[in-house]
Amino acid sequence: MAGSSHRPRRKRKELVSSASSNGTVTTDTSTSRETPAFPLVAFFWPAKGSVSQWIVLPCILMVVGLFRWCTAIWPYSGFQRPPMHGDFEAQRHWMELTIHLPVTHWYFHNLQWWGLDYPPLTAYHSWILGKAGSFINPSWFALYLSQGLDDPDLKVFMRASVYISEHLVYIPAVIICGRHLARLHNINSWEASIALTAILMQPATILIDHGHFQYNTVMLGLVVASISSMLAGRALWSCLFFVGALGFKQMALFYAPAVAAYLAGICIFPRINIVRFIGVAIVTVASFALLYVPLLLGTFYDTYRKVPLPSDITLPPLLSAVPFPVSEKAWYYPYLVQLTQSIHRIFPFARGLFEDKVANIWCAVHASGLHKLHNYDQELLSKAALGLTLLSILPPCLIIFFKPRRELIPLAFATTAWGFFLCSYQVHEKNVLLPLLPMTLLLSTESGMKPAIRAWVGYANLLANWTLFPLLAKDELRMPHAVLTLLWAYLMGLPPFDIKAYTQSASEGGVNLLTKLVHLGTFAAAIAWHGFELFVSPPTNKPDLWIVANVCLGAGGFGLCYLWCLWNLALESGFLSIFGLQRQSAVQEKKTQ
Amino acid sequence: MADLYPTIPQCAVVATALKVLLWPAYKSTDFEVHRNWLAITNSLPFNEWYYEKTSEWTLDYPPFFAYFEWAMSQVANLFHPEMLQVENLNYDSWQTIYFQRATVIVTEFVLMYALMLFIKSSPAISKRQSHAAALSILLSPGLLIIDHIHFQYNGFLYGVLILSIVLARYQKDWLLVSGVTFAALLCLKHIYLYLAPAYFVYLLRAYCLGPRSIFDIKLFNCIKLGSGIVAVFGLAFGPFAYLEQIPQVFSRLFPFSRGLCHAYWAPNIWAMYSFTDRVLIYLAPYLKLPVDREAVNSVTRGLVGDTSFAVLPNIPPRMTFILTLAAQIPALIKLFLRPTWDNFVATITLCGYASFLFGWHVHEKAILLVIIPFSLLALKDRRYLGAFRPLAVAGHVSLFPLLFTAMEFPVKVVYTILWLITFLLAFDQLAPASEKPRVFLFDRFSLLYIAVAIPLIAYCSLFHQIIFGARYEFLPLMFISSYSAVGVVGSWLGFLVVFFTS
Repeated sequence: MAGSSHRPRRKRKELVSSASSNGTVTTDTSTSRETPAFPLVAFFWPAKGSVSQWIVLPCILMVVGLFRWCTAIWPYSGFQRPPMHGDFEAQRHWMELTIHLPVTHWYFHNLQWWGLDYPPLTAYHSWILGKAGSFINPSWFALYLSQGLDDPDLKVFMRASVYISEHLVYIPAVIICGRHLARLHNINSWEASIALTAILMQPATILIDHGHFQYNTVMLGLVVASISSMLAGRALWSCLFFVGALGFKQMALFYAPAVAAYLAGICIFPRINIVRFIGVAIVTVASFALLYVPLLLGTFYDTYRKVPLPSDITLPPLLSAVPFPVSEKAWYYPYLVQLTQSIHRIFPFARGLFEDKVANIWCAVHASGLHKLHNYDQELLSKAALGLTLLSILPPCLIIFFKPRRELIPLAFATTAWGFFLCSYQVHEKNVLLPLLPMTLLLSTESGMKPAIRAWVGYANLLANWTLFPLLAKDELRMPHAVLTLLWAYLMGLPPFDIKAYTQSASEGGVNLLTKLVHLGTFAAAIAWHGFELFVSPPTNKPDLWIVANVCLGAGGFGLCYLWCLWNLALESGFLSIFGLQRQSAVQEKKTQ
Repeated sequence: MADLYPTIPQCAVVATALKVLLWPAYKSTDFEVHRNWLAITNSLPFNEWYYEKTSEWTLDYPPFFAYFEWAMSQVANLFHPEMLQVENLNYDSWQTIYFQRATVIVTEFVLMYALMLFIKSSPAISKRQSHAAALSILLSPGLLIIDHIHFQYNGFLYGVLILSIVLARYQKDWLLVSGVTFAALLCLKHIYLYLAPAYFVYLLRAYCLGPRSIFDIKLFNCIKLGSGIVAVFGLAFGPFAYLEQIPQVFSRLFPFSRGLCHAYWAPNIWAMYSFTDRVLIYLAPYLKLPVDREAVNSVTRGLVGDTSFAVLPNIPPRMTFILTLAAQIPALIKLFLRPTWDNFVATITLCGYASFLFGWHVHEKAILLVIIPFSLLALKDRRYLGAFRPLAVAGHVSLFPLLFTAMEFPVKVVYTILWLITFLLAFDQLAPASEKPRVFLFDRFSLLYIAVAIPLIAYCSLFHQIIFGARYEFLPLMFISSYSAVGVVGSWLGFLVVFFTS
């Protein structure tokens, strides 16, 4: 390891103006004058050519940082909204309980008032933030007394904690991942910077984390770090990061099949590599162990101090599922209780098929009145969900398993996550961030900013944002939602500002006619929907009509995004070449030479 | 032709997005001031506008601004009438905030238009430079801090100023329009009176007198210009003259009861003077100087009112006017002898400098009077840029104390640093070499000066509070204002040298 880090960095050739492979520059055929293909490129025009990355990168970070912080000025979910408040209170409460209660109580404490139901890494993260916040002002996290607090200084602290966490994990991960992608696809650093800005300005991520209030970017950042390690050929690091992501937020499971398939694939193809396989297995187990070490050490300390568990608890049902008889006297009993209780909290199997209104298949089928699902047995429904999810993720996982090529990673991740989002059990509308992330990463791949890919990435992002509107409207975040969504659409040269991405012919890197119709039709419908939502109140017997319409259209669009990702994955992997379908890719050509 | 990207409208879109996101940010009492004016002009009859005093924030801008508020209040009436009641003191419902903040953004289009005209008016050889300068004004952190967070309408007002300056650059016939526009600007906000000498001299020499000889008086031009200006002032003040309210109006516009330094010292000569006085309080016993014990407390607190000095002699208002005028006269003479457009803009800048540095009760926001005209010239050649750099740093750093809330702190600092990096680097690449040699060591001075800003801001915003808590609150303010004063004075001296040697 040490030896490899000393090898001199290869200076890549900078071919800025002449070989623009990525669709950022349009050249007028008659005058050969170059113009930016969409407004975001225009902002990088003065930096074209000579300006150092040491200046461009800090400037990008300052700009995206400003937009994040200015979003944070707006209200958060549950602001001055008793009795339960919202995600802000949940996160604040976790800081309160982790710093005041003994470790063994963390996962047992009152579930009704935002009980801790995230994996241990979130608990440790809350503990650190709670300690830091108490150092500044102990009343922010005073046990029980601080519940529902809405002190303006507390808001600044909490917002800053999201901002700093994101800058420690997500932002460096995206920068490094962008570099790896650019190297893999032969993209010059100027275009890579443009793609980086587009990814970091993704409105849904900013709105959920800095507006609504959550720490998704920590989990997403660890996932990107994992992808980045895969791109760099460091499988063991990718295991560590991915376990970290799972350990921060269980929703990272959306990606787990793709990760497993890829890691299994590189151990078998092109030749079986037992050493690598053992390494991956050991690191994964060790990472999980590491994840639980602080919790178990805390349990050890509490057992040593003889701190009793809260009196009113019920032991986790999982404990009885342990395949061997467990004695309460056994030395390992307290640890087993903690492990099973944390898993019980993290995966609440008892909840319904979907929560609130989310643009996935189940909710769309149910809410649209196509087929009412509450007549069915929960058991049956969860099995159906499981079956359909498996069916939807099987093709991408098989492809990435048999062809574990690095170029396929973003598409495989996106397809799998879309499959999960659309078909699985217990999905939140916010989870759309998971499929969006790898799909948006496509912008920094070869021809990623040509209309064909830009239109689809833009479609997915704008549609996802639109399905988040009801949630954000509840949080009084209509204005930042409109501003950030429209700004991104403007910068990327997408409707409602520009339809140039749809006017190029398919042979010049444009999209085909069907895509044009579907995209423009969806955008028109979404705009019309906003008009209805704003000016027409829904019929009294159907008060949720607008939200249902939103969900159904969203689910349809996301289904198309899933299919598009799957199709491109199949095309890129070369599986369709037996049917004579193949994508001409410079990367592939280079590989075959 | 060069590729001028990003274009002004592209930048305006992105800047507007950021400004809208700033709507719920901190707003100063100026927000309530302007809401009160909306209410006064909408709900009271014309003859009570300058007498109304339910709120302490009485109408103290000239009549055109009152008309402007009246026009906006007509729209506000359709949108949310509650904000238009004079008795609704400190009313800030979200509709009021949305409306008032939106008017700032919308009226700033004047600035955008003026800057586009500026680019259009510049010769092909300096198009790129003009484009960069225009963007630097459009995206100015000064305007972001003062207008979009603190709350004022400077974007609109400076838009009118630049419009009037740019109109003077077109053919000679447009000088009349330029003069009339400037007269209208004076009736919007009378702070621009400080720049009036430059306009007077330039219009006199270039429009009213012949190009060859100063005895070749163009009588028709004089009549046109005179009647134009009289018409503008008649529109503004005529109705009040008819109502015999002129003394009342003027007592509102020029409140002489205020002190030499504003509550927070603007970074000018008087800030340095006060700083010296502070230091002398401690040195006086050794130097055997008499100390005015009563004055010691008043200076530390920096209260509004009559500032008195403990050791140094007090400054009467007359003194500041004489100094201001004296500082303006050399530039005016040069402009009279060589009435080119570049000299005109330089003289406007120097008038701004003089009034800011020596004026009575100068507010730190007035630094825009210097920065904005100077920006139009900063890319003329490297020597001008050398003088511009310390001003760009000092002027914007001196605005930081306007915002003191934790949430807005990162916005002002990061935005200003971003602007400084982007534009100082871009200017550095674009400014053409000068024919004359550089000012001796001036560049070294400005580099050192810029470097000092970083620890200073860190100390004032963070370490002071950690070390001293709430004690010595005046100390960071005094440091920032003295530091900025050094920068502004330094850039003024640099600019004087450049202007009079070229």
